[in-house]
Amino acid sequence: MSVKVHFLLEDLLVEAPAGTPLQRIADAAGADITFGCRTGSCGTCRVRVTEGLGHCGEPGPEERDFLAGLGAPPDQRLACQVVVQGDVAIEYLGL
Amino acid sequence: MTSLSDLLREKVLLLDGGMGTQIFARKPTVEDYGGAALEGCVDLLTERRPQWIREIHEGYFRAGADAVETNTFGANPLVLGEFGLADRARALNVQAASLAKEVARSFDRPRFVLGSVGPGTKLITLGHVAYADLLASYRVQMDGLLEGGVDALLIETCQDLGQIKVAVRAAKEAMAAAKRRVPLWVQATVETTGTLLVGSEIGAVLASVEPLGLDVLGLNCATGPDEMHAHLQTLAEASPFHLSCLPNAGLPLNVDGQVAYPLGPEAFAGKVLHAASEFGLAIVGGCCGTTPDHIRALAPGVERLSPPRREPRLERSAASLYQAVTLRQEPAPLIVGERTNANGSKKFRDLLAAEDWDGLVGIAREQQREGAHLLDLCVAYVGRDEVRDMDALLSRLVTQVTPPLMIDSTEVPVLERALQLAPGKCVVNSINFEDGEDKARRILELCRTYGAAVVALTIDEHGMARTRGEKLAVARRLHALAVGEYGLDPGDLILDPLTFTLGSGDEAFRGSAVETLEAIRLIKAELPGVRTLLGVSNVSFGLNPAARHVLNALTLYHAVQHGLDLAIFNSSKVIPVAKIDPEDRRIVEDLIFDRRSEGYDPLKAILARFSDRKAALAEDRRADLPVLERLHRDILDGEKQAILADVDEALRDHDPLRLINEVLLGAMKVVGDRFGAGEMQLPFVLESAEAMKAAIRRIEPRLPKEADYQKGRILLATVKGDVHDIGKNLVDIILSNNGFEVRNLGIKQPIEAILKALADWPADAIGLPGLLVKSTVVMKENLTFMEEQGHRIPVILGGAALTRDYVEGDCRRAYPGPVFYAEDAFEGLRQMQAIVSGEPMPVPAPAAGAAGGIKILHRGGAAVPLTEAGQSSWVRHDDAPPEPPFWGVRELAEEVAGLFEFLDEFALIRNRWGFSQGSLDDAAFAAVLREKAEPQLAAWKARLAAEPLVVPRARYGYFPVRAAGDALRVFDPSDPDRPLASIPFPRQAAGRRLCIADFFRADRTDVLALQLVTLGQSAADHAKRLYEAHAYADYFAFHGLATELTEAYAERIHARIRRELGLAAKDLPGRALFAQGYQGSRYSFGYPACPDLHGNAAILDLLQGQAIGITLTETFQMDPEYATSALVAWHPQARYFST
Repeated sequence: MSVKVHFLLEDLLVEAPAGTPLQRIADAAGADITFGCRTGSCGTCRVRVTEGLGHCGEPGPEERDFLAGLGAPPDQRLACQVVVQGDVAIEYLGL
Repeated sequence: MTSLSDLLREKVLLLDGGMGTQIFARKPTVEDYGGAALEGCVDLLTERRPQWIREIHEGYFRAGADAVETNTFGANPLVLGEFGLADRARALNVQAASLAKEVARSFDRPRFVLGSVGPGTKLITLGHVAYADLLASYRVQMDGLLEGGVDALLIETCQDLGQIKVAVRAAKEAMAAAKRRVPLWVQATVETTGTLLVGSEIGAVLASVEPLGLDVLGLNCATGPDEMHAHLQTLAEASPFHLSCLPNAGLPLNVDGQVAYPLGPEAFAGKVLHAASEFGLAIVGGCCGTTPDHIRALAPGVERLSPPRREPRLERSAASLYQAVTLRQEPAPLIVGERTNANGSKKFRDLLAAEDWDGLVGIAREQQREGAHLLDLCVAYVGRDEVRDMDALLSRLVTQVTPPLMIDSTEVPVLERALQLAPGKCVVNSINFEDGEDKARRILELCRTYGAAVVALTIDEHGMARTRGEKLAVARRLHALAVGEYGLDPGDLILDPLTFTLGSGDEAFRGSAVETLEAIRLIKAELPGVRTLLGVSNVSFGLNPAARHVLNALTLYHAVQHGLDLAIFNSSKVIPVAKIDPEDRRIVEDLIFDRRSEGYDPLKAILARFSDRKAALAEDRRADLPVLERLHRDILDGEKQAILADVDEALRDHDPLRLINEVLLGAMKVVGDRFGAGEMQLPFVLESAEAMKAAIRRIEPRLPKEADYQKGRILLATVKGDVHDIGKNLVDIILSNNGFEVRNLGIKQPIEAILKALADWPADAIGLPGLLVKSTVVMKENLTFMEEQGHRIPVILGGAALTRDYVEGDCRRAYPGPVFYAEDAFEGLRQMQAIVSGEPMPVPAPAAGAAGGIKILHRGGAAVPLTEAGQSSWVRHDDAPPEPPFWGVRELAEEVAGLFEFLDEFALIRNRWGFSQGSLDDAAFAAVLREKAEPQLAAWKARLAAEPLVVPRARYGYFPVRAAGDALRVFDPSDPDRPLASIPFPRQAAGRRLCIADFFRADRTDVLALQLVTLGQSAADHAKRLYEAHAYADYFAFHGLATELTEAYAERIHARIRRELGLAAKDLPGRALFAQGYQGSRYSFGYPACPDLHGNAAILDLLQGQAIGITLTETFQMDPEYATSALVAWHPQARYFST
């Protein structure tokens, strides 16, 4: 099964197999998302999931802790921790 | 008539320069000194060549000095005695003072004379001279100077904390005798090592002399002005006294066998004036190598300075010879070690009886290692001479331990002897009113004379106070005497409300813990500023050890909750409250708070519950296990001490080779499996490896010569151009403690060197780790080179920038031998096992959704167009650039504690230290954080604050800049038309087409902030020492912490820059700050927006990085490690982006 990822900033639409990490998709498609540590502890790759939040997999406890520390609303995720299971639209927040 | 103190209120005081420099310029001959035996006795020249001295003073006054120093640096009986002139001391001081006063009076505006008192030639702290002799010698000199009419007593060039305290006492006694009070002034000499000659930090000097009450505390000699910054900063922030600074004309150089000083008058004046305004100096002047010309160059600038206004904040401390320790610790309490006490420790008592002084010092050092902040020292032993014993022990101890001392005696002469021998600021233990006030008064007098804090017990003529009200009443009375009458600072009064045992069941004492806890709260509330202390273990006398441990731990916990500051206890025996069984906790707390009910008595419940329980449960259960099972557990638990005894026992009945192969390596395999399954955190893995190392070392001598337990060999080297050590060292630790022989070639290894090593030491595989993106390219080049040379040896690659796809694709194509990707050290271990066993390699499952399945369906909006100037039109230039507070470069130093505020603890603990949740449930992981990670961080913070393991220094500055296409043109701050550098940056190929240059104006001058921070060579050295000592867990922890502290320092400087540019209002609070929660951005070379490390060269050049010891490697990485550079853009749209 394949899913569609829409990067809103540059209106980039990408197709990828379900279960692909979002960072792999972003890297392969050259999306304008900046990754820092890629391990979920720097916050550089924070995104808002404007559609398909339920297709992003549950955040792990560490990502949850990190986002809670920033006081981030529930539609925000760390792109490096997201695994895409269905169609999603992504807005990069590091601007 | 204007006094010196009056003048200090009006202006910054200008002193003279070097005296010796001027005297030696006159090339004194044997005749000038009055004979060969007197050659070098400079103080005698006042009498022999008064005209010279007069001319020197005149020269300095004419140059603009407000005050000069007498020619009496060594004019005390001890120093003059070396020339047989001890009896001339007083006369020479009188004469020198009179002569200088005479010259001063010949000038019109007020000019002053400072009586110079040098350090002498004997270090009291090292036992070169007795206290009484040194005191008497200084007294003669001070008497003479006062008689000659000096306007201040200047104890200068101090190298020994002990000497300062003696000289200050002599000065005060001389002033009292002469009935004349003049300003009392101390100047310490901080060597290039960062401490006084005997090792004291300037903070220890401040803490020790502050209670003595000075007028001026400053620095002179040893270094030039720049090297004094960090120490001036410490004094500026905390010292309540005027601050003086008399540097040398730079660090002395050896030019053709002659000492020469590099700073000429103008350069010297510029640096001193900069320090004066930066640190709020009240007094400036010069020391060695400075001349009237230096003072003349300073004079106009000094005239323009207004008297400084500082708001010093002194955190009250105790001090050892080496360091100050604040009496308030975060987290509370401050731990007072209780085992250097003949009343409390049988071992200590026995060693004292045997006069085993080294053994006694050993106990003190052991407590230091266990984390005691202060050591309680008591040598009272019936039938022995307590003064003599205190003397014998303390003279050895003071140089050998770093915690300050709490002197514990009921005898006034013992206390006095101890206060004379201990160079820092001690705590006296203790005073009370058991026999009225007389003795308390005598002890408080000692505290005042020697500058000590004091413990005061709530005991009065009726005995120990029992209720909270009685305790508070006695505390008030103690406070009135110590603070009210003897002038002690409340922060140096430590009240001990005492407690009785709850173990006796005596109805009268059932409520005593509650009374003590409440008394702590009341004392803190009613007597602001005082500290509280409790000897915690008294609460549990009479109970069995298991119950005592739990009761002590919970009493301590509640006491801290009630405001306890200091606790006397054995830190090695405290159990964390979180580890106490909930039912144990409930009944023990019922005992503490005296919660009884019909048919329920918590004391009886405890007696029943703990009756057959022994202390340290785990220990005893362990002892019941068979030895091989114990060894297995030792490895899993990282028991590097206990494992040694277990190894010895196992060796009696078991073959050493079998122990290694089956038991120890088997246990390490379990460790690796647990790590792989996410059940075990990396820090625990490293502790297991340390235990393994300890066991192997113990077994090795018992192995038969031909025995080889090692399974194979691997050569390890970080690739050319990469300085990163940690990944390679982790691999070394894991492989070498899992039965492989590792040759670790180090960092920055060219392939030629690696292959040469291989020729000398045939191995089964080569491991090439590397952190940088560039290193991944080097790895592939290495493989190509190896292919050309005909090598086929297996190669394992690993590192943060590497991907499995790249290794298994590009790298495998470059090399016909086996090439493996190791995600972590344990995957490397599995690969090594497969390589040596010849088994087929476990093929990792292909990662989900390999790149092939990703397809771009649609790319909207065309790339953003560039402006005429070649910049992205996405960036708007609406705001005018801010005005920096200065142009050019400044240097800063920082106490490590100042970095903790900016430390990203989340990143440190989760990422650097590898505490990740893995497969643990939330509660289990929270327990790991609470019991392991957080205490580990607290301990490191305390250690870094106490020991100079990291020495943070920074340079930053503001430069005029203009964007020019993809580059920034940086201009000379003092000549904005002169270009200094052009720094190129990459531009995004699509989308916003951003380039860092776009955030700066092309049409006008903009401001570029640059910054550079380092933790110093000492940090890199310490990491190396830990690794070489096989202290793996500490090594890994220190490395991670130092890396994050470097970031913290960069974050701190960046915050300063935002403040100075007026952008700080946009800063977000808390953790959000670490995720770019501010206006603008900080870019470091090597990261996505500017990946090319070449840019570091420009930053280092512009900021003169060598001034703080930073250089670049041939691949443009900073050396030493733990340094980082950045350029700061203020533009609101400047954020991280990738090119």
